[in-house]
Amino acid sequence: MSVLSVSGLVAGYSAADEILKQVDFDLAAGEIACIIGPNGAGKSTLLKAIAGLIRSSKGSITLNGEPIGGRAPREITRLGLAYVPQEHNVFPSMSIVENLEMGGYVEPGRVASRMDNVMQRFPVLQRKRRQAARTLSGGERQILAMGMALMVEPKVLLLDEPSAGLSPVAAHRLFEDIRAINREGVAIALVEQNASDALDISDRAYILVDGRNHRTGVASQIANDAEIRRVFLGG
Amino acid sequence: MSPFLAEFVQLLLNGVMAGAILAVPALGLTAMFAVLRFPNFALASHATAGAFAGYVANVSFGLPLIPSLVFAFFFAGLLGLVSDEVVLKPFRAMGAITTAIGSIALTIAIENLIRFVFANELRGYDLPIARDMIVGGVRIGPQQMQNLAISVVIMGLVFAFLTFTRMGKAMRAVADNPMLADIKGINADTVARIVSFGGMGLAGLGGMLIGLDTSIDPLTGFRAMLSVFAAAVVGGLGSLPGAIVGALVVGIGEELCLLVLSPSYRSAVGFLAILLVLVLRPRGILGQRAY
Ligand SMILES: Nc1ncnc2c1ncn2[C@@H]1O[C@H](COP(=O)(O)OP(=O)(O)O)[C@@H](O)[C@H]1O
Ligand SMILES: [Mg+2]
Repeated sequence: MSVLSVSGLVAGYSAADEILKQVDFDLAAGEIACIIGPNGAGKSTLLKAIAGLIRSSKGSITLNGEPIGGRAPREITRLGLAYVPQEHNVFPSMSIVENLEMGGYVEPGRVASRMDNVMQRFPVLQRKRRQAARTLSGGERQILAMGMALMVEPKVLLLDEPSAGLSPVAAHRLFEDIRAINREGVAIALVEQNASDALDISDRAYILVDGRNHRTGVASQIANDAEIRRVFLGG
Repeated sequence: MSPFLAEFVQLLLNGVMAGAILAVPALGLTAMFAVLRFPNFALASHATAGAFAGYVANVSFGLPLIPSLVFAFFFAGLLGLVSDEVVLKPFRAMGAITTAIGSIALTIAIENLIRFVFANELRGYDLPIARDMIVGGVRIGPQQMQNLAISVVIMGLVFAFLTFTRMGKAMRAVADNPMLADIKGINADTVARIVSFGGMGLAGLGGMLIGLDTSIDPLTGFRAMLSVFAAAVVGGLGSLPGAIVGALVVGIGEELCLLVLSPSYRSAVGFLAILLVLVLRPRGILGQRAY
């Protein structure tokens, strides 16, 4: 059963341009699906459309069977979908504690206990709890952004290139964290440049090219497909 | 103390007291800029409106100083809330410049409304007269000391609001990253209303505090406007600690210039400060970080 289902989606940044020309995407409960493809293919645009930041002109988006197309981002957040943007995904002048509080803004009564959980999962946030987010390294900032998303205990998590700019070691650790979050029952849509690592932890894979579905399949099969290896995975 | 040193210390002290008062409306201006992203020139008329609301409370209703200040805050704040909702909000979709021009029109309208009701005459608050103290050749007015204390308390309350309350933090979040604030479920309209209320309330408090020392008339806010903008720009428009630093710089600068210039050149300090900062350090002393 899909928790998130996108079908025939057409969307762009203004009424005229179609960045997403025709996209289908399904995320089953408890799975990780990665979205890979060349730069400018529309991967980030797809996540933004799902999160409610841009309007689609055609197609449908449903979350647990409920249509969410055209709703405001905060309503979609309340329905259990958390989105971590590629950039600008923390409040730089606010402390880590305050960032997490803002992450759980829609459910103020739960902030304290959830913050404890997030800090247990990511001890670095506990250690730097009073520091402003702007003082964090790239990897720590991604961790904070993910922690903020977990403050609503989402059923669906959208991550846009969480490993961008991280060292291989930091990226590896981040993918482990993503997998651990998934094992607790959170379905994750993962956009990545780092395609082979993403395929490693994913159940299903979508390859997007120029605003359209290029290939869709089981992640391990996509990872071993000769043509795909040559074109998208650099050998 | 030598006469020159005594004069210097006197002007410095006057500058600190003037700067502290200036910081109150400058905080309002910079907070509104941080959230709404346009310079709100209607601050001038709201400062005047606050000064007159405080006057009505104090002189017509015979309330003491502090309750009159509270009344000035709420009156100017409510006026700011309503005028933003009715007049400025529709402009915001058309960009910061258009909205700023709209705010100039709004301020002229409100100022003339005040003139229509109260006429142009000078009015003074009804406060107990206390004699100045003289310490080492430096004159210290009890009323000024009280204004300084009130300003410091107001600044403390503003920072407490922003640090400890849910709405204050939401406001900082919107100032930091409006798109992310939206994703996290913070209602930008609510935050805009609260900042319009609080920002213009601070303008009203500032107008009354400025008037306490001398007198008020329908141009009270307009005359203070240049210094308030200079304070906010010098500290970094949109930065709250910057507004306080900027207000002290401008307040002290305006007084110290009296050592070498005649008082009629005083307002040149504000211009000069804006000019220097924009040329040397366009983002202001503390940069444009909100908090
Ligand atoms: N805010 C924006 N406004 C207008 N066009 C945009 C915006 N963001 C991205 N685009 C355009 O949309 C296309 C797809 O971008 P994006 O979804 O970010 O690609 P990807 O994430 O796959 O690299 C690109 O051609 C890009 O130039
Ligand atoms: Mg992208």
